[in-house]
Amino acid sequence: MESIVELKNVSKVMKGRTIIDDISFKVNKGEVFGFLGPNGAGKTTTIRMIVGLIGITSGDITIGGYSIKTDFEAAVGHVGAIVENPEMYKFLTGYQNLIHYARMSRGITKEKIAETVKLVGLEDRINDRVKTYSLGMRQRLGLAQCLLHDPEVLILDEPTNGLDPAGIREIRDYIRLLAREKNMAVIVSSHLLTEMEMMCDRIGIIQNGKLMDVQQVKEFINTAEVMFELEVTPSETALSIVKSTYPNVQAGLSRNGITVGLSKQEIPRLVKQLAKEEIQIYGIKETVKTLEDRFLEVTGEKGGTQRG
Amino acid sequence: MVNLIKNEWMKIFKRPGTYVMIALLIIVTAILGAFFKYQEKGPDVVDNHWEQTLIQENDALNRQMKQSSSKVEQQFFKKEIAINEYRIKHHISPHEQYNVWSFVKNASDLIVLTGLFTIIISAGIVASEFSWGTIKLLLIRPINRTKILTSKYITVILFALFLLAILFIFSTLLGAVLFGMPEQTVSYLNYYKGHVTEQNIVVHLLMYYGLSSIDMIMLTTMAFMISSVFRNSSLAIGLSIFLLFTGGQFTALISLKYSWAKYILFANTDLMQYVEGTPMVEGMTMPFSILMLLVYFIVFQLLAFLTFKKRDVAA
Repeated sequence: MESIVELKNVSKVMKGRTIIDDISFKVNKGEVFGFLGPNGAGKTTTIRMIVGLIGITSGDITIGGYSIKTDFEAAVGHVGAIVENPEMYKFLTGYQNLIHYARMSRGITKEKIAETVKLVGLEDRINDRVKTYSLGMRQRLGLAQCLLHDPEVLILDEPTNGLDPAGIREIRDYIRLLAREKNMAVIVSSHLLTEMEMMCDRIGIIQNGKLMDVQQVKEFINTAEVMFELEVTPSETALSIVKSTYPNVQAGLSRNGITVGLSKQEIPRLVKQLAKEEIQIYGIKETVKTLEDRFLEVTGEKGGTQRG
Repeated sequence: MVNLIKNEWMKIFKRPGTYVMIALLIIVTAILGAFFKYQEKGPDVVDNHWEQTLIQENDALNRQMKQSSSKVEQQFFKKEIAINEYRIKHHISPHEQYNVWSFVKNASDLIVLTGLFTIIISAGIVASEFSWGTIKLLLIRPINRTKILTSKYITVILFALFLLAILFIFSTLLGAVLFGMPEQTVSYLNYYKGHVTEQNIVVHLLMYYGLSSIDMIMLTTMAFMISSVFRNSSLAIGLSIFLLFTGGQFTALISLKYSWAKYILFANTDLMQYVEGTPMVEGMTMPFSILMLLVYFIVFQLLAFLTFKKRDVAA
C-alpha cells in the first residue's frame, strides 16, 4: 500500500501548552482512516495542521510528498476538506459557492461542477441561496466543494455532526464509495464510535494530544473477549463465589447481576456452583464487547497509567 | 489573481447592503442637487463694474493683511489678492453662472460618504470571513495567504474607485441637467507658491477628487489592517470612521501647540494644502507628506500581512 499523508513527530504548542504531542502516522491510498478521541483530545487541531490552517511547532506533515510547511500550495492541492461545519457563503447560491471555490483551483470546468453537483444530488436546489438549505444539504454542498478538484486525500472533520440517521448513512456510504472507487485516502474524525466502526478501515485513537493506538477496525473489535452477563441475586455473594472459584478471571458487578470473562465451556460448571450456593439465577447472556468498551479501555488504561 | 478579485467582487455585490450604499450615495447627491437648485433661484445681480469692485476689495484686503498677525490669515489674504489681480488683468469676471462644474465641486464633499462606505467594506472583507467561518474553506485552497489578502485589498481599492466614479459621473449628469453646461469653457484659477495659473476645470476636478481621496484610502487601509489583525469588523469600522470624521480637527488642534503634529497621519492626508493654501504645520512640504503617507501605508500593510500569514485559524 502506498501512503499519501504522512505525519512525522508532529507537535503543537499553543501559549506554552502542548496540545499535540509527537504524533506520527501514515494514511494510505484507498483507505478510510478514522481519528477517534474524546472532545478536546486534539482531533480537530491535528486535522487543521494537516490542511495548513494551523502552524506546526515541530515535526512535519507531507501530502503526496510535499511538505505542508514549505510547499503549501502543492501539498494542499491534493486535499479536499471540510473542517468542522461546512460553512458556506449564505448569501450566495450553492452554485455561486462552487464557482467561488472552483476559481481558486486550476482547471475546473463548468462540466466538472455540474458533474459534482449531480454526484451529491443537489441538482434541484443548486441555484437557491445556501441560506435556505437544510444542514444535510449544506453537508452535501460541502462535500461537493471538496470533490471539485478530484483530490487524492479527503479530510472530513466530524462529517456526521448534526445529521439525521438517513443523512449519516448517506455520508457513510459515500465515503466508502470514494475510497473504493476513486482510490482516495479519507481521513475522518469523530467521537462517535459506532460511526467509526462502520466507516473506517483503520482507527487512530487520540487522547490528551497523544496518539494512543492505531489499529485495524476488525482487529480492534476481535481482540475483545467474550463476556457473560448473569442476572442473579444476591449479586455480591455471587461475585465473591466467582472470585473464589476462578481467581484469574475478570469479573465484576453489572446492573442486573454480574459479568464474568469465562469461556463458554466453563459456564455450566459455574451455574451448578451458583445453584448449589442458593443463588437465584434469572438469565445468562453472552455479550460481545463493543468498540465503545474497547475504546474506553484503551483511553482509560493508558490515560490512567500516564497520570499515575 | 484576477479570479480571486472576481470572487471578492462577487461576494461584495451579492449582498444587499452594497446596493443600499450605492442608492444612498445617489440619493444624497440628488438631495444636494435639489438644494443648490433651490438656492440658485432669485434674481441674478450682474455687476458690470466688477473690476472696480475687485480693486476696492484688494485695497481692503491689503489693509487687513497689514493688521493681521496670524501667518495663516496673511497667506489667505495674499492668495485672494493674487487671484483678484489675475482676474482684473485677464478680464475674467468673478460672477460665473453656477454651472455643472460648480455642482461637481460642491458634490465632491460627499467623497467622505464614499470613504465611509469603503471603510465598511474594507473592515468586513477579512473579519467577515472569520465570523462566517468561511475562512477555513478559503485558506485550504492551493493559493497562499499573501495572494488571498492582496486580492482582498485590491478589491477594496477597486470598490473605492467604483464609488468615486459613481459620485463623479452622477453629479456631472445631474449637474448638467439641473444647472446646464457653461457657455464658454471655464478655467479654474489656481494659486500655487505666489503664482496664479489657469487650469482646465475638469482636470482640476479630477485632481481634486484624487487628492481628496487620500484621506479615505489611508483610513480604508487602516480599517483593513484592523480587520486583519483583530478579526473584528465593528472595531475596524468604529475606529476608522471616528478618525475619518475627527482626525483632521484633532490634528489641527494639536498642531496649534506642538510641532510634532506634522507626524500625525491626518496632518499629511490633505495634499491640497500644498497645491493651494498653506500647510498645517510650518515647514511641512509635499515630499515630506508623501513620505509620511508612504510610511503609514507600509506600516499598516506590514501589520495586516504579517498577522494574516502567521495566524492559526483555530475556533
